[in-house]
Amino acid sequence: MRRIFLSMAAAAVLVLVTGVQTPRATEPGEAANARVSIDELTAEDCLGDAEMMAELQQQFVEGGVIGGDWPKGAIGGVLPPLRSVYDPFPTFDGIALDTDNDRVIMSDENRHALLVYDRAAGSFSNDVTEPVQYIFGPKALLGYIAGVEVDPPRKEFYTVNNDGGDRLVVFDYGMGSGNLQPRRTLSLPHQSWDVSLARTRDEIAVSVQQSNAISIFKRAATNRDAPIRTIRGLATELEDPHGVFFDEKHNEIITANHGNWTQIRPYTPFDPLVTDVGEYKSGAFHPSSITFHGADANGNVPPVRTIEGNLTGLNWPMGIDVDLTHDEIAVANYGDSSVRVFARAGRGNEQPTRVIRGAATQIVGPVSVAVDVKNDEIWVANYGDHTAVVFPRTANGNVRPKRIVRNAPVNTPTCGFTNASAAAYDSKRDAILVPN
Amino acid sequence: MFARLANGNVAPNRVIEGQATNLSRTMHGIAYDDVNDEIVIPVALSGAILTFKGDAKGEVPPIRAIQGTRTRLVRPHTVAVDNVNNEILTADPSSRAVMIFDRRANGNVAPKRVISGENTGLLDIVGVAADPLRNVIVAASRKGAEGPTGIFVFDRLANGDVKPKAYIGGPNSKLAHFRQVTIDPETGNIFLAQQNTRMKRPEAYVLDKPREGAGGRNLNDDEDSDEAGDRMDRMGFIAVYAPDDNGDIPPRAIIKGPGVRLAGAAGVALVPKKKEIVAVGGNGFQTFLLPDFFQVFKRPPTSSASKQK
Repeated sequence: MRRIFLSMAAAAVLVLVTGVQTPRATEPGEAANARVSIDELTAEDCLGDAEMMAELQQQFVEGGVIGGDWPKGAIGGVLPPLRSVYDPFPTFDGIALDTDNDRVIMSDENRHALLVYDRAAGSFSNDVTEPVQYIFGPKALLGYIAGVEVDPPRKEFYTVNNDGGDRLVVFDYGMGSGNLQPRRTLSLPHQSWDVSLARTRDEIAVSVQQSNAISIFKRAATNRDAPIRTIRGLATELEDPHGVFFDEKHNEIITANHGNWTQIRPYTPFDPLVTDVGEYKSGAFHPSSITFHGADANGNVPPVRTIEGNLTGLNWPMGIDVDLTHDEIAVANYGDSSVRVFARAGRGNEQPTRVIRGAATQIVGPVSVAVDVKNDEIWVANYGDHTAVVFPRTANGNVRPKRIVRNAPVNTPTCGFTNASAAAYDSKRDAILVPN
Repeated sequence: MFARLANGNVAPNRVIEGQATNLSRTMHGIAYDDVNDEIVIPVALSGAILTFKGDAKGEVPPIRAIQGTRTRLVRPHTVAVDNVNNEILTADPSSRAVMIFDRRANGNVAPKRVISGENTGLLDIVGVAADPLRNVIVAASRKGAEGPTGIFVFDRLANGDVKPKAYIGGPNSKLAHFRQVTIDPETGNIFLAQQNTRMKRPEAYVLDKPREGAGGRNLNDDEDSDEAGDRMDRMGFIAVYAPDDNGDIPPRAIIKGPGVRLAGAAGVALVPKKKEIVAVGGNGFQTFLLPDFFQVFKRPPTSSASKQK
């Protein structure tokens, strides 16, 4: 399996450079045999290897600006870097659990892949855990993906492109692995982050960070189908929303908010120059929160209740899951590397009923969480480590996980950023600064 | 924060994050003020500019925050510090403006100057830099398929709806989908990071509403081709221009090819003493050792210069 991830790492290099396809489509279970043609170019630190870069350059110097014809007379050209910092392995982001088909699906924001594991996967091995299915490559339209959802009866799984695509993409278990086109796509607002399926209503709810909104679509919406309703506006208290859960049992939409707010206006190079925009409301920092809106809410509608305040310990809450059997909400609390569990009917400045946190837990920068009522477990996907960790559902405190799913060998570091747009040099500390 | 000599798959040696920092997980700019030992960061989703101590680490609050109704900030994208004139520059694509604040500003403070309007040519402003020695402000701005899209140079004290004193853009420049711009303080050379030689496509939505005019376009028809040659042709680069460059000209110096984050760079930082250029994009960054890029360029541009259209 380690070979697969190394191969995928190398394939990512090749895809970015040339668009060459990644491993051929395979059936679940066949992944171990998948190979890519540039295995021999791969080293443990594949992008830090100047020889590999030079070899790639030798192979792909034809055409376009890379070819050397442009700009005439300029100095420089196709140059190998002196140093390269890059994590060639996947980093887990969103998670969705399917106990009907015994599958766990996780998004990989670093390598732009979807990884499907057996529900019972994981161990205390130091080696990487083999997925039963993976989707990876340019045809898959996976950019900086975040939230994941699964539709067990249809055996479909979804993910949301937070950046680099602005769309929901849908795959299924029967497609096999490799560089595969999605079964269907749906255009979404920029910076959509999570998706939650309401099976009975046949609707999906999508959180949108920059618009501070929840957009609801028909489940089978495709291409440019518009949302059927949108919760958005100052009264909604949606503030940089991330995780979302459509609770059909209680007719609520539950959302985790980071607390950032600004009155976003059109900003792209295709929108007009408009300087008179009417009343201006300034940006604001609010505490993190969990908001509850009516399932039929539409427009600038206030939440029916909110969990917020210093006792909550909410700190950049990311993905959430709701245990409708035990009436609890589990929150991946990125800011303090914890999972916090609240009473579903909670409100106000309420303490969590349980907190999984501490060095023994191996929770590092959690981005998503999934509760498995059937098997009495709780899954946590770590962005800050190359792992997903599984606990007993009622775990509390600084406890060890019962098993670990690895997407890289143990102790593999991760750079800790994705989709960076800027850098600065700190001359006093001889350091490179990169905002995430 | 990474050691300059970091290489390979390494963890950062310092991180500023968490609720108390007032940062978000969506930040597109950063500047380091080496005179005052401060880090300045725009927070797009909170309409704010935050300043941290240079040695800040962990979940620490900023030492100053510019935010509020007087600031006119909506979605600040990029930032630069002019520590000679004690100013912070930011560009806000939602406000369609370059705004200049006092470096020590804190709270609900109005900008000292605002460069914005039809005459400026600015629209989706994604890069800004200051050159206090030559008294100019440089902005990188993109506008649809027709442009102007490129590098805009303004007098340092420009204010209001003013024309740029120079503009680099046009078909010969291949400037299209770029982001951060920075300046070598000694030579005044302008460094720009371009992700892709094709203009960014319109987003499917305008905020939370489907974009009108896109018709029934099939999304899949709009995707990047898988053809190797096509991808190669669109790859981005780090471009370098002389401080007096103007018109539809190619760069004086360039880093291109797989080395630039393999597909293109969104950010660029300079280590002038070491003659190193750091290109960041996607999920990594690369460092290039290129002393020639820090020279005073004497050769005139090869293509005929033209003024901004």
